[in-house]
Amino acid sequence: VNAGSAHSENGPVVVVAEHRDGQLSPLTNELAVCAQRTAEMLSSEVVIAILGEQVSEVAQEAARTIGHKVYAVKVPGLKGFHGEAYVKILADLIPSWGASAVVGGHTTSGMDWAPALAVDLHATYLAGVEALDEDADGMLFSRAGLFGKAQEIIKPKANPWVITVAPGAFPAPAGLPEHPGSVELFEETSQKCRAKVIAYKSAADQDLGLTQAQVVVAGGRGIGKPENLELIHRLAGLFSRSAVAGSRPVCDLGWLDYGSQVGLTGAMVSPKLYISCGISGARQHTVGMRGSDFIVAISSDPAAAIFNLADVCIVDDLTAFIPALLDQAERAVH
Amino acid sequence: LKEWRQMRLLVCLKQVPEPESLFDLEQGRVIWRRPFRTRMGSLDEFALETGLRIKDAFPNTTIQAVTLGPISSSGILHRALGMGADQAFHIVTEDEQDLRPLAVASALADWAREGAFDLILCGAMSEDAMQGAVGPMLARLLDIPWATAVSSLETSQDASSIEVTREVEGGNRQILELPLPCLVTIQSSPFQPRYPALSKLLEAKKADIPAYVLDARSLPAEPEHIVRLEVPNRSRAGVFLEGSTIEKAVQLMAILRQRALL
Repeated sequence: VNAGSAHSENGPVVVVAEHRDGQLSPLTNELAVCAQRTAEMLSSEVVIAILGEQVSEVAQEAARTIGHKVYAVKVPGLKGFHGEAYVKILADLIPSWGASAVVGGHTTSGMDWAPALAVDLHATYLAGVEALDEDADGMLFSRAGLFGKAQEIIKPKANPWVITVAPGAFPAPAGLPEHPGSVELFEETSQKCRAKVIAYKSAADQDLGLTQAQVVVAGGRGIGKPENLELIHRLAGLFSRSAVAGSRPVCDLGWLDYGSQVGLTGAMVSPKLYISCGISGARQHTVGMRGSDFIVAISSDPAAAIFNLADVCIVDDLTAFIPALLDQAERAVH
Repeated sequence: LKEWRQMRLLVCLKQVPEPESLFDLEQGRVIWRRPFRTRMGSLDEFALETGLRIKDAFPNTTIQAVTLGPISSSGILHRALGMGADQAFHIVTEDEQDLRPLAVASALADWAREGAFDLILCGAMSEDAMQGAVGPMLARLLDIPWATAVSSLETSQDASSIEVTREVEGGNRQILELPLPCLVTIQSSPFQPRYPALSKLLEAKKADIPAYVLDARSLPAEPEHIVRLEVPNRSRAGVFLEGSTIEKAVQLMAILRQRALL
């Protein structure tokens, strides 16, 4: 573990791009938005770093669609994401670039490399950042704490900082950048890593109906028991082109298939109407549905975090409320 | 019966408030309302269950549960013993001492170095803070390989390596092989954590859990601190419907019709 030696307060803010199979993840654009605002506060500039065996095309794509200076870091043998390799390479490059901050996603990959890199760089780790602010002494970072029921306002010590950005918190601008970026190539030697990637498996049977549905009715732990799923199905049955979904705990319990899971490790949906039933609103779930056009949330917990992003909030027991709603719908028909 | 070398597992646990606990924010600080109930972090429970399943398959395994927290957090260690951990250890912090992830990882690293553990298991994140930082930091401080967000784990026949499945975005999975010693953070899975056996729980309640008080001077300077807590902004209208259950149902029907959603 080597110490980060060179870094400066107004060195570049380095975005670590997310990409897979030659495709740039749309999240990278959001990371660049957070990085740009950070860079403005530090009077510095944004650099996008892309790590992998074959990176030139992804780098061109990033330069064209996001802009900024793009560093294509070619690493022989690095075929996909590898946490240990990312940490070793970044711990080497970040000080040589004199970076003031490194920005990744608060995703399953970002959460794998970023805290470890912070140890190597003796850097402050800021996890799941949702907003930026500043006071007289410098920058402040806002993130969700206490089950998403409060925002933590965090002050880091001196740079460098390692930041992971909450997906959805810094929406990317539509269209192409005014000034396309330029690509610079870096060649790294291959990394000897102890952890070995054996395989990468694509989602087997994601419910396509889910991402195409116009109405999604989702059940969380708050539905209490699997028998109550019938209420969720009946509620979904009120709408045409609807689908039933669930939060991760409900899928873990086997009440719904993993193909029906909405959230960080499941599907990302943005239907016309999303009805959340008994879901607390942890960020791992809400990143998958916060873009819905209209959100109705039903929960017995009046302080549930889900209410902070709902259009209509109903504090009630699901097993009483959904039958009452179904009853009203039936009356309207007759 | 096959003979394996003994595997030593360390499971790191954190006490968290019950998710529905009520609190007030006063001058940027949290004041919990009574009764204030706590529990073992739910993903930490999955981490312990993962360890117990390894022990089921390799009986020659010892599991030590460790937590870092105030005196009042010893309850989760009793529960861990009740679930089947062999030993428990408590690194005691002061009541109001809210340590940042690097301090927690450093204190755990000091402890883990003494124990020569083959495998360290943590929850993928705590459900209250949702940072997921301690696991990878601890691995890096100990200079051992790691994998995060693991939903299934297989130990090799000779107990020299493990194969893990990481859950990544969009329901995709990455499969990794790691040599021991290593650290793995555990995501939830269909393997629901077992309930403690009543007899074991009674026995565990009587157990004297070894502890030491954390010397804050031995920790690295905190790289960041929480200035204050704020009430979250509402990203949307967030209209709360009022009235009886039926009245609320009538109102929701009207809203859905008005928006041509029904």
